[in-house]
Amino acid sequence: MEGWSKLNGGSKLNEVGIVQTFVTSKKKLCFDLDSSMGNVDDCNERLRSMFDQVLFFFWGEVSREKHIQPIPALFADGQPADLFKLFWVTWKLGGYDPVSRNGLWAFVAEECGLDGGVKASVKLVYMKYLNELDQWLRKAIRGKSLGNGESEIGGKFGLLLLELEKEFRGFLCDEQDVKKKEGKLVEFKGKKNGKCIDLDIDKREMLLPAFRGINEGYGNVERNMNDDNEKNCFHVENKVSVSDTPVVRNVCIQKRKRESVSLLGMLNWVTEVAKDPHDPSIGRIPGCSMWKKYSSKELWVQALLAREVLLRGRRIGSNTEESVLQKKLKMHPSFYEDSKVVNHRSAEALRCSERLPSFTKPRFCPCCNSCSASPSKVVTACKVEVENTLKEQLHLSVDIRCSNPIGGISNDENFQKLVPVLVPVGPLYQAEVPEWTGTVAESDSKWLGTRLWPPQNRKLKSVMEMDPIEKGKQDSCSCQIPGSVRCIRYHVVENRTKLKLELGSLFTQWGFDRMGEEVSLLWTIAEEKRFKDMVRLKPPSLNKFFWDVDVLKFFPTKTRKKLVRYYLNVFLVRRRAYQNRVTPKDIDSDDEKEFGCVGASGGERRWRWCVVVVVVRAARAVKGFPVSESGGRLVIGDGETIVLGLGDSRKAMERRETTGGGW
Amino acid sequence: MDDSSVLGGASLPSSNPDAKKRRVTYFYEPSIGDYYYGQGHPMKPHRIRMSHNLIIHYSLHRRMEINRPFPAGPHDIRRFHSDDYVDFLSSVTPETIHDHTHARNLKRFNVGEDCPVFDGLFSFCQASTGGSIGAAVKLNRQDADIALNWAGGLHHAKKSEASGFCYVNDIVLGILELLKVHRRVLYVDIDVHHGDGVEEAFFTTDRVMTVSFHKFGDFFPGTGHIKDIGAGRGKYYALNVPLNDGIDDTSFRGLFRPIIQKVMEVYQPDAVVLQCGADSLAGDRLGCFNLSVKGHADCLRFLRSFNVPLMVLGGGGYTIRNVARCWCYETAVAVGVEPDNKLPYNEYYEYFGPDYTLHVEPMPMENLNSAKDLEKIRNMLLEQLSRLPNAPSVQFQTTPPITQVPEEAEEAMDRRPKQRIWNGEEYESDADDDEKPRFHSLNSNSRPGEKMEMRDNADGIKNEIKEEITIDAHPPS
Repeated sequence: MEGWSKLNGGSKLNEVGIVQTFVTSKKKLCFDLDSSMGNVDDCNERLRSMFDQVLFFFWGEVSREKHIQPIPALFADGQPADLFKLFWVTWKLGGYDPVSRNGLWAFVAEECGLDGGVKASVKLVYMKYLNELDQWLRKAIRGKSLGNGESEIGGKFGLLLLELEKEFRGFLCDEQDVKKKEGKLVEFKGKKNGKCIDLDIDKREMLLPAFRGINEGYGNVERNMNDDNEKNCFHVENKVSVSDTPVVRNVCIQKRKRESVSLLGMLNWVTEVAKDPHDPSIGRIPGCSMWKKYSSKELWVQALLAREVLLRGRRIGSNTEESVLQKKLKMHPSFYEDSKVVNHRSAEALRCSERLPSFTKPRFCPCCNSCSASPSKVVTACKVEVENTLKEQLHLSVDIRCSNPIGGISNDENFQKLVPVLVPVGPLYQAEVPEWTGTVAESDSKWLGTRLWPPQNRKLKSVMEMDPIEKGKQDSCSCQIPGSVRCIRYHVVENRTKLKLELGSLFTQWGFDRMGEEVSLLWTIAEEKRFKDMVRLKPPSLNKFFWDVDVLKFFPTKTRKKLVRYYLNVFLVRRRAYQNRVTPKDIDSDDEKEFGCVGASGGERRWRWCVVVVVVRAARAVKGFPVSESGGRLVIGDGETIVLGLGDSRKAMERRETTGGGW
Repeated sequence: MDDSSVLGGASLPSSNPDAKKRRVTYFYEPSIGDYYYGQGHPMKPHRIRMSHNLIIHYSLHRRMEINRPFPAGPHDIRRFHSDDYVDFLSSVTPETIHDHTHARNLKRFNVGEDCPVFDGLFSFCQASTGGSIGAAVKLNRQDADIALNWAGGLHHAKKSEASGFCYVNDIVLGILELLKVHRRVLYVDIDVHHGDGVEEAFFTTDRVMTVSFHKFGDFFPGTGHIKDIGAGRGKYYALNVPLNDGIDDTSFRGLFRPIIQKVMEVYQPDAVVLQCGADSLAGDRLGCFNLSVKGHADCLRFLRSFNVPLMVLGGGGYTIRNVARCWCYETAVAVGVEPDNKLPYNEYYEYFGPDYTLHVEPMPMENLNSAKDLEKIRNMLLEQLSRLPNAPSVQFQTTPPITQVPEEAEEAMDRRPKQRIWNGEEYESDADDDEKPRFHSLNSNSRPGEKMEMRDNADGIKNEIKEEITIDAHPPS
């Protein structure tokens, strides 16, 4: 530890050096600006980066603004904004209000090396990104200097930044220390450690991506609410700590120290538990429903929260996998793990816990629970983790039992590192299997169900005369364009008609009347069009309530089942027909992607024609299938009706049939 | 399509597969296709309707009996599942999901994201389960040699927990029904996911042996390690074959056949349940294997060849056009015909474009299972199997074993099982022109009287069907 404190000291000195440079550079810069409003680009790169850090720190810790703006900031013309330059120029001119009052935004734009024409955009960016910092700084300065003159502002600003920097740097120092500590643990960590260090670096030096991540979290409703909660906590807590006087800040620092002490306690506790989980001194951890009632002073609460944080960290890595709705992703977290990873994770736990003072402190604040939109989620994750711990311990014993390592079985890492996930044994898990007695128990004949085939009451005299079985489609047809959508539609309907003859009432019993594009005959053309438009406008992948809310709203007379049936039997068939002809290399029958183009317009109408013609033909060919028309509906022998809905008279239909042909 | 790669060696010629017919019963619930897990959810009961559609358009129904299943009631489902869980499943609806009592149970029973509450959830489970229990009863009553239920095979469901799109474990319930009549039941699972629910349910019994071939390693559900072998009395009666991405027909067959051969030999099951999850096919939306429809169906073909009562169930399968292809083809294999590769025109014809064929080519993807790995796995499992006592301790002598010889002469077992307890001549269409001897019962009257009567009734119907629809029936040899 001593070595580190030395290190600490060293780095603090260094920090002071940097800040001093920063301040001096600023003074120099003030001078530059004053004299010539000259070239800001010349200014020290270090100063610039420091500004960035201050700004991000401000956004992260101080800002009341819940929505951090997208980064990088862009002007209307798409150019990235130089916030440092913009801030400094505007600050010198007195800030947002004076600049606006005096119409100086064009001037600011020009000073930033931009065209005066984008002044509105410049103003907007300032308003969104920098105004709060500006005002906070001014307020803080006023409060301290009790209305000293403008001339002092530069200096005050520097001082303030110095203070801010101190805190900020202090914040980073802790991390650096922890990282140093981690260095010692490297040998335990294996590969995944790299990720962790990367994270450190991200946080320490590359604040920008980190913020962007959070920002995306906001933008994306689908994202884990916990991210948001975490961030809220961040805000809430730091509002308290930063907008106060230095005294309060000291308290904060103390608090942090205290926490690190208590974390040590937590780590010791975890160690003890690991040594002997049954030790009575550990006591009982209450059920998860009670967890909210316990404060974070409880060691076990801290341990659970820490695990939760670590778990989340681990999952960030596998984000790509989690983005898709896949079985494998919803699996019990323990299934991801093997014993090595388990060991590894405990190492990680130790390691990361040490880092907690700087990173995860906000999560220990009591507001975590209060502002959490889904506390149960967090709690459950913790619970799962605890369960895993227990399971993992069991695994270890399994491991010992299976003394024959499977390492030799395969070069594949999987086989080498994965050990069995314990299958739970007990009456809660297994089925009750009676001993075999040799006596056969009766089965209820109800289970035989309803025999639908062979038909009970019908001789199958015609079956032998029918097409040979197991046959596919015929090679040739007389359609004008064989293989066209029309051709296929015609043959499908033709086949249906044949099938209907064979099956009789079974055709309906097996639901063939509710299969395929014929389902569309229960819809009017207008309804079909509305459905198509709606789907096109709202890719369901973006809206999981598609069927629940939107469709039902648009089709108050249709049940959900009917809509789904239409979608699967008509809509998808048409979409696939389109894909087969237009994008045969990119086919999708499974909603893998968003909806693409939907079949050529007018498909509905042509389909209807096709059905009508075939049905009429078939009806003519077979006696007992009279066709009649009433009230816009075509009624076929056994009561099946087709909504014509086209304004087609039967005459037109027949005319079409006699002249048409050649589908 | 060149079948030689798939069907060479020990398998049967594809054009006239083993020339023996089986009495096949197929359960189909006509409303099954209208159940909908939700927008974007990969599990689509519609695929079962698509399969049925193809089956009928290929006229395969003329070679089967088709039944509409009797829906399993809560009481029946409780034979495996816990009371609380069944109460929950039977009462929850999308409208009441946020009620206090239900909301509390969602987490508890793992119902939510993967296993959503959708309209008609429970009746869907009832239909799926009713089909599998019905299939078991059909086999129990010796009304059929093969019973199919493509709506079944939901192998992840646990006693008190939904998992991986499965709510009610129809397989466990079907096997429990089979156990009423059969001493030993073999469960074989070729879904790309491990059959964890079934394995767990029968983990401690030797009356059911579970064998699962699945992708293992960073994959749902995470169980199915080669070292998971069962516990207690069930030790060595769970077999897991962990595989890696991209396994092709040849590699799969190289494991499946020898392992199943050995299992049949040493375990001598009285009935077999095959879960035909179609997500092990090439190009599946969730799977990562590279099996062709023929390679997949070869598993069924092989098991069928043992001529043990066989229940064939569905399962996973998320590229629905391929699921329909696969299950239609497997239905054809079950009834013993080879359908035309060109699909007949059907209502879902466009789903199968742009090729409109029954079979699809496997994907050009790397097989991450090296020959060496497979060899090791095979040897390890065969070694494990050799530790099994032949036909386990369940009152071995009460009834003679009925395991049948597979047709493959070159894979003939050392131990010839004795005759089947029931007479093969009663088969609907036993065109037994295979030269090898098979289950000729010495005495077909050895069955209990009441059973006999039942059979006679069934046979009456069967004979009628045979006269009318069997095309190439020969007199029994």
